[in-house]
Amino acid sequence: MGFMRIVFIAWRNLLRNRRRTLITAFSVAFGVLLSVTFTASGDYTYTNMINSSATMGFGHVTIAAKGYNDTPTLTRRLVAAEELRRQVLSNHEVENAYVRIAGQAMFAAGVKSIGGQVIGVHPLQERPEHNLFIRSIIQGILPADSESTGALIGAKMAEKLNLRLGKKLIYTLTDRKGDLVSGMSRVSGIFQTGEDMVDSSVVLLPINRLRRLLGYDAGDASLISVLIWDQRGADLVRQKLIGSLQQTGYEILTWAETQADLAGLIAIDRAGNYLMQFLVGLLIAAGILNTLLMSVMERTREFGMMMALGMSPVQVVIMVMVESLMIGLLGLFLGAVITTPWYIYMAGTGIDFSSQIGQDYSTSGVLVDPVMKFRLFKESVIGILAGVFILTLLAGIFPAIKAGRVPPLASIRGI
Amino acid sequence: MIGAMGFAGFIMIFYAALMEGLLHTTEQNATVMESGQFQVHAPEYRDDPDLYTMITQEVEVLNRLQANGYQAAPRLFGVGLAAAHASSVGIMLRGIDPDRERLVTEIHRHLLAGKWLNGDDPEGVVVGRRLAKALGLVVGDELVVVSQAGDGSMANELYRVRGVLKSINESIDRSGVFFLDEVFRKLMVLPDGVHEIAIRSPDDTYSLADHTQQIQNLVPDLEVKNWRELQPVVARVIDMSRYSLLLMLVITYSAVGILTLNGMLMGVFERIHEFGVVKALGVPPWQIFSLIAIESFLQVVFASIIALAAGIPLSLYFETHPLDLTGLASSSASIAGIALDPLWYCRVSVKAVVDPIVVLMVVAMLSIIYPATKAALLKPLAAIHHR
Amino acid sequence: MNLKLNHVAFLLFLMVVLSLTWASMSFATTTDDEVRARLILDLIDDLWRADSSESTVTMRVVTANYRRTVTMQNWTLGKNYSLVRIVSPQKEKGTATLKSGNVIYTYLPKTDRTIRLTSGMMMGSWMGSHFTNDDLVKESRMADDYIPRLGFEGDREGRSILEFILEPKPEAPVVWGRVVITVLAESYLPLVSLYYDEDLSLVRTVTFSDFVEMGGRTLPARLRVVPTEEPDEYTELIYEDIRFGVLVPESFFSLQQLRRQ
Repeated sequence: MGFMRIVFIAWRNLLRNRRRTLITAFSVAFGVLLSVTFTASGDYTYTNMINSSATMGFGHVTIAAKGYNDTPTLTRRLVAAEELRRQVLSNHEVENAYVRIAGQAMFAAGVKSIGGQVIGVHPLQERPEHNLFIRSIIQGILPADSESTGALIGAKMAEKLNLRLGKKLIYTLTDRKGDLVSGMSRVSGIFQTGEDMVDSSVVLLPINRLRRLLGYDAGDASLISVLIWDQRGADLVRQKLIGSLQQTGYEILTWAETQADLAGLIAIDRAGNYLMQFLVGLLIAAGILNTLLMSVMERTREFGMMMALGMSPVQVVIMVMVESLMIGLLGLFLGAVITTPWYIYMAGTGIDFSSQIGQDYSTSGVLVDPVMKFRLFKESVIGILAGVFILTLLAGIFPAIKAGRVPPLASIRGI
Repeated sequence: MIGAMGFAGFIMIFYAALMEGLLHTTEQNATVMESGQFQVHAPEYRDDPDLYTMITQEVEVLNRLQANGYQAAPRLFGVGLAAAHASSVGIMLRGIDPDRERLVTEIHRHLLAGKWLNGDDPEGVVVGRRLAKALGLVVGDELVVVSQAGDGSMANELYRVRGVLKSINESIDRSGVFFLDEVFRKLMVLPDGVHEIAIRSPDDTYSLADHTQQIQNLVPDLEVKNWRELQPVVARVIDMSRYSLLLMLVITYSAVGILTLNGMLMGVFERIHEFGVVKALGVPPWQIFSLIAIESFLQVVFASIIALAAGIPLSLYFETHPLDLTGLASSSASIAGIALDPLWYCRVSVKAVVDPIVVLMVVAMLSIIYPATKAALLKPLAAIHHR
Repeated sequence: MNLKLNHVAFLLFLMVVLSLTWASMSFATTTDDEVRARLILDLIDDLWRADSSESTVTMRVVTANYRRTVTMQNWTLGKNYSLVRIVSPQKEKGTATLKSGNVIYTYLPKTDRTIRLTSGMMMGSWMGSHFTNDDLVKESRMADDYIPRLGFEGDREGRSILEFILEPKPEAPVVWGRVVITVLAESYLPLVSLYYDEDLSLVRTVTFSDFVEMGGRTLPARLRVVPTEEPDEYTELIYEDIRFGVLVPESFFSLQQLRRQ
């Protein structure tokens, strides 16, 4: 008997008890829905978190002076960063790259002062979608160009130092040799991310002014913040950059290293997510097993007959396995039918939790996204498909073997 | 059938316990790690944390709080500089009473290396994770602390690193140095007064707001804030995760419900043939309905017993033996001010056990209504031929 | 942070605000008014010029929270070097600060450690006084950071005085919005300095008094700083003794010397 014939018989067998088949397939379909819900909310949330943390200064991939990640001081210089940036930009995975100086500084105005972090940027290159601080401007603007005297400061710092637009901000930092140097800028803009820690400590300054103050050469910086089209490619891009860039004296890191806390959070959350899906998968597999076992038991007679008529036990096993797979496929199909509208809704609109959580989200929504949305990566889809395939196969094994073990003669006698 | 339902119930119980555990750990980490559930300060302290803005008569205040059932821990703060191995970093000095602190927070359990503060070791200090990294400190290293003392003099003293903390929050990680309170007082020349009193209420029956009011009544001249007011972003993150976890739980419950429904439907329809025969023998429809209902009920009861018998011990096991995800997170992490615990505990609450069983029963009983009604009302012959 | 810094150089700065660098300023782009102001300030600078010095100073600090009295010994060489060491109280004795160019170190005898001033300590109090470390570091840059002009010349409260107004240059990294210095017209001895913030409200007042003969010159021996916000608080520096032209080699201002008792 050919394989196609077995498939045909298996299909007929399933059609014989349509309700049962449909019910079982529906449980698979529901499993798919559940799995998509878990995975897609994870894919969306993680991507969102990674992308928004990448816009806080370091990017998805960071090229920094050696040792900078461990001890980020201004004495560690990335030499000829501008040239390096040009090389980085030639990679098609790279959406954009920003040369930045970042380090500790003391900020003062009048008799008040506060410690914080200074980030030197090229105002003309920076774009809001890649820079959280620019995106969060509530007043004024980013300094006009890389030479200007402007400064973009956080709302909380403005409050603590009693600063307004146009007021003087004095900063003291250690230069390339470790000596203390001071500079002056005027507040050109104020941003508010909603995170007090950030709003009270970060100041954006034009990079060329900072370079002169620190004694850096024209192309020097602390780091290059590389933003890529797809955050999942960070490791790949890192490898590529390591392979293609010629100079030495720097380290190339991914967001998982520069934002180790976030990476840890995602890893833990993802593990929990997988565990949940695994439990639900087990449940569904048990349902399929239950159905198949019931149908195999009912058909003991039939199997005996078929084998007496020349079907080999292996063919019987294959037949039951095919039945199991067909339930799985049908389940997938039904799953796609019920999941698609849900996914489309969640990917587009999502569920907004802001009303349950608090009203002040409009200002602080940058760091904590109050909307639960979906997004599904190709590999996640493949993962779900493979999961369903494997589970149905596994669920089919035991009933199939049971069916294959039916002794031909004895079962016929049992009629 | 019983097995499948039992399994479903078991998984729901385990799942619910895991969820409860996750929420509980997160919320606990937000309060029990460092901030405490409530904090008391002198009125202007939070706006301008000045060394001299203190809670006076702290012994009396602490006693009053304790007499009313609150655990209270005094804290002292100061800014300074720590130097070791030829480099120096700005620090936040924190003087605490380890015996009282233990009753309010669990920071003593979150050490990466070494030991927590102990009254027998006045020179021992405990430092934050990133601070230790920045200064290249390991347990046993010497550390010079410099600050301006309360009398305007130059405070400087040599200490030894007794412990390094895991990730607690940004501020502690980067700049926290913990001292015994009497050591802090001696260094900073502050004979009395405290900057902060952290409070934990062992009593969960009142709401956060009620407790806040009650504490405020006990210390009318001081500022009382609960953790939600102290850390609004953290509170929001927790609320957010609570809602999304709740949604996940509802989805999972309904998935399990549908699976149960499938099982029950299948179970009754399989036997509709049999019911036809019974009916042909003259059994009235309501009896058939009751028969199916009672049978199903017994099934669910058995399933519940299986679920409870398997789910509770497993969850209880994970309550004391957490899932260890340390391998996944390379270091201890914190996000938005909440320390992240790579150990995942179950939490077996009444809710986590009862809810799944109730869901199981309700779904099972609802799901037999349709097939049981059909079985009860079918004409005998039709039933016998029913497929 | 209260780190002990270049004492005498600082004191001189507070008394006259300007030091040697005035002489080397280019006058090419300045107005007549400014030229005159700078010339007079140069004369004042001449009055105070000293290649080296050794002195004993007592500092009294009164705040709402503490009162303290510290006696210190100071050595200076040119503009770039200074060393200050605490003599009393006993608890802080031996604590020393070295300023060498832009770099400032503090030696702590109790813990036998030397600490370099970092940017984080800049706005901290100096020795628990009403000065910040920033005041000390910026002192030597005064001439570069401000444009002086003569604001008033004539009699005030029965004395003939000159009043200089120092406006920060547009890009100068200084926290003050304006500094006003009043000196006696005939001797150029300072009487009072007023410090304003960017909104031109008064932030602190420094007054000079007790004009005595010391080290062969007439100097104000007492200087008092009062923060406008806390009028009951003050920091007072009292010169016990000063000698000019003492022989201190450059090697005296080294890390090794810093630790020596």
